[in-house]
Amino acid sequence: MTTVYEGMFLLDNQVVREDWKKAKAIITDALKKHGAQVLCARRFDERKLAYPIRRRRRATYCLAFYQMGSEGQTALRRDFELNENVLRYLMLARENLPEGELELAAAEDAADFNVPTPPPDDAPDAPGGGRRREGGEAGGLDELGEARLETRDGDVEDGDVPGKDD
Amino acid sequence: MGSMRRPPAPPISGKNCDDPVLDYKDTENLRRFLSAHGQLLSRKRTGYCTQCQKQLKQAVKRARHLALLPFVG
Repeated sequence: MTTVYEGMFLLDNQVVREDWKKAKAIITDALKKHGAQVLCARRFDERKLAYPIRRRRRATYCLAFYQMGSEGQTALRRDFELNENVLRYLMLARENLPEGELELAAAEDAADFNVPTPPPDDAPDAPGGGRRREGGEAGGLDELGEARLETRDGDVEDGDVPGKDD
Repeated sequence: MGSMRRPPAPPISGKNCDDPVLDYKDTENLRRFLSAHGQLLSRKRTGYCTQCQKQLKQAVKRARHLALLPFVG
């Protein structure tokens, strides 16, 4: 029995700078190697990471949907763990392929589609990309004030530490 | 001299959660449910029921794993 999976892969910008199709092939080839049928794969985004991973501050996200059985999952995960170009990955079972994904992937495969070259690692994110909240001039003060209130009321629930749950 | 207690802030998601679609890729939406320190807000503040709060927690954890959202700060 096969299941539809959604995979989000974090690719090293160095490989993406060389050639996007080659970078995408790293993912699709690994999936095909383990018996998966790739339904679609596309560039999700290129952005500044919330925290550095393997000393990279920026990376490109590749979103893929594929169909496969459960028997090749362990070997597939091991392959991605060992691949130096894949910084992180997340694979989730989905009920079906989301609407519009095929169209987005097809648009990327078109001849006139141009993948922007990733900026240098220390470049700032696009305006608004790394902001926490909408706000005017007093945004920073509001954030501090709210944080103080939350701490006082004991209102914060989740106290995760980096790398604890994954 | 009665104590002037500040009224509680209204829940972020409204009074009823109505089965929200919480996706780990939608970071702009998820950021609304994080404190200034990157911690997930309580059910009292988000306004979500038990099941939806669990979905929210799972989505935030997935986004953190992919460095879409910070663990701290």
